[in-house]
Amino acid sequence: MRIAFAGNPNSGKTTMYNALTGRSEKVGNWGGVTVGSKEYQLKKEFAGDREVIAVDLPGAYSMSPFTPEEGITSEYVRTASPDAIVNIVDATNLSRSLFFTTQLLELGIPMVVALNKSDVNAKEGTEIDVGKLSAKLNCPVFKTVSTEEKNNGLSEMIAKAISLCGTEQKAPYLQADIDLHDKAAVDAEDRKRYQFVNGIVAEVETRKVLSQETNKEDKIDAVLTNPIAGILIFAGVMWFVFWVSQAWLGPLVADWLVGYIEAFQEFVAGQLENSPPILSALLADGIVGGVGAVVGFLPLVMVMYFLIALLEDCGYMARVSAVMDPIFKRVGLSGKSVIPVVIGTGCGIPAIMACRTIRDERERRATTMLTTFIPCGAKIPVIALFAGAFFNGAGWVSLTAYFFGLVLIFLGALLIKVVTGYKYRKSFFIMELPKYKVPSLKFAFRQMMERAKAYIVKAATIILICNTVVQVMQTFDWHFQVVEEGAENTSILASIASPFAILLIPLGFGVWQLAAAAITGFIAKENVVGTLAVVYGLTAFIDVEELEMTGGANTVAMTMGLTSVTALAYLFFNLYTPPCFAAIGAMNSEMQHKGWLWSAIGLQLCTGYTVAFLIYQFGTLFTEGHFGTAFVPGLIAIAVMVVVIILISRKIRASFDAKYQLHKNAQTNVA
Amino acid sequence: MNSAAAVNRMSFERFGKMETRTTDTSFDPADERTLLQVEPGTYIIKRIDTEDEDMNAFLFRLGCYSGEPITVISKKKKACIVVIKDGRYSLDALLASAIVV
Repeated sequence: MRIAFAGNPNSGKTTMYNALTGRSEKVGNWGGVTVGSKEYQLKKEFAGDREVIAVDLPGAYSMSPFTPEEGITSEYVRTASPDAIVNIVDATNLSRSLFFTTQLLELGIPMVVALNKSDVNAKEGTEIDVGKLSAKLNCPVFKTVSTEEKNNGLSEMIAKAISLCGTEQKAPYLQADIDLHDKAAVDAEDRKRYQFVNGIVAEVETRKVLSQETNKEDKIDAVLTNPIAGILIFAGVMWFVFWVSQAWLGPLVADWLVGYIEAFQEFVAGQLENSPPILSALLADGIVGGVGAVVGFLPLVMVMYFLIALLEDCGYMARVSAVMDPIFKRVGLSGKSVIPVVIGTGCGIPAIMACRTIRDERERRATTMLTTFIPCGAKIPVIALFAGAFFNGAGWVSLTAYFFGLVLIFLGALLIKVVTGYKYRKSFFIMELPKYKVPSLKFAFRQMMERAKAYIVKAATIILICNTVVQVMQTFDWHFQVVEEGAENTSILASIASPFAILLIPLGFGVWQLAAAAITGFIAKENVVGTLAVVYGLTAFIDVEELEMTGGANTVAMTMGLTSVTALAYLFFNLYTPPCFAAIGAMNSEMQHKGWLWSAIGLQLCTGYTVAFLIYQFGTLFTEGHFGTAFVPGLIAIAVMVVVIILISRKIRASFDAKYQLHKNAQTNVA
Repeated sequence: MNSAAAVNRMSFERFGKMETRTTDTSFDPADERTLLQVEPGTYIIKRIDTEDEDMNAFLFRLGCYSGEPITVISKKKKACIVVIKDGRYSLDALLASAIVV
């Protein structure tokens, strides 16, 4: 038995779905958080012995889709024929929501209406006559509060939905039999439908506070959406998030955790004392050391997830998107591009998927292409490692990394605008501003734990396997003989990574160890840290205090043979090259265009390479008074990239011109 | 061109366009203003033309169509916040100037 959850954006579908299934799907206080359908079994306490699957769908305002994610919903309820529909209605906006409700009722599928957010109505003194509404709609109506754990009305509502399965829904309002291609007729029908809805609302709803009246929230909005203050506040908020997670609270917890990891590593090494040295190296250094190096950074990531969850929960995101719209529009993106960027600080994959809510195809693809320039949670260990080892744990490193990521997004967007010969096309921006909500600490904590679990699982699977493979590959040569000390360059790993290392010489880090780490980074970015830990036999990178006292940071720096300048170049190279394969996969499915996908990967490669080149060469020029090694070859490589981009641009523009030419011909023919 | 002249020219074009469109003889162009030109307050929507049918239809489904009230809460140079039905929305200048009240 399948029950579909459908309703307007930000009515609380996913919150209800999570409450009923026990899942922790992403929720947030803005329209368009859910961009794909998800399904899972209802909890036993709701379903009893039956197997009931709840299907969570993206929000939609009607059956006719406007953005790609809305299409998923109408397509599902039309073609997948669920056994029942739970229509989640934002009780604070009945007058808009019932339009979609009446459309859903026409499908003939048994339906229950959940008047969600009823607590907000109670607070504002808005009353809805449930009995009357139910009679008018010809279907059961329940008041629900998905955010509450008790007395939330969910069990009665879902029990009713289950009991209705197999019956047939009678529609209270049926659209007249019209030609759906006749715009005027459709328009007239929709007007009639709204009239019907308005009639119901007038009868069942009494409001103490009218929506049109200016309220306290409007005063907050006035500040947050002010073009100057709003942008400064956004910058401040993001600075605070990064500072707390990566310079203050995060490292504090991490220091404490690293002690335990080291103790564990020593314990494992002790246990293996009598076993062959290879096994001991593999287990203690390779697996525990490599995975431990990654897990040690978990607190930084967790604090960040916690703070971002609070931001997403309070209703701020919609305001940011509104205030950033004019700036983003200038470079050919949309205000909605902000949301993927913020989500991207956690993980690039949901960020790329969040681009679906952008309606304009070009804006959507450009955002998909650029959003991963914002360092994700998996890149935090990389940043923290380099900040700790080369810059005394300086907070400016991570702040610069994020800020520079934003700069690259803007520059990239400008480049895309120029290359595609962006012709002026109307691109509208409309964003619902949800009511503010005090963010729930409990919810943020749950989201944080969920992401932390995923992080640990990833460390224990993908990262663990990669580290093991790297460890084996560097221990043996092609004849499967153990590599002797001093002959590390003969290992399998060295011989595979060396050709790539040559390409990196103009960037200042042309050694196979660093090349290998960058390559494994494409599997998962945490691998950069894991691999470095394995190939250099280093652990406990971020024990800042200890490093400072013992000069251990220098040891790390010396072992890697990098100066501050090359370290920064290497760090930025890893941050701004293409994301991990999983994120590239997400890009592929969102763009649905091979040309765009390859341009995206190409652009990211070029960006990472160019940024690293400039930092290394000019950094060396400033610190040592001369350019670094292989300046000219690097310059040639970049010149080649520029030429390729110009050629692509010409080709695209030529095809544009050809199109316009056709149009002109068509017009003259008609004339 | 100074900005006053630009506005003048814009409104000129707008009226010119409307004369070809409207058949209503009681129509008085001086009454027509876009959301961008009005002070905060509640207005009845006269006409919406974004020149993008899907966008018009989308606005319709939010309850934003001719004959319905719309409230401007606040206005800035490049954006405004409005109330349609019981929801608040932020609109950019392009969209706001396509809604005539």
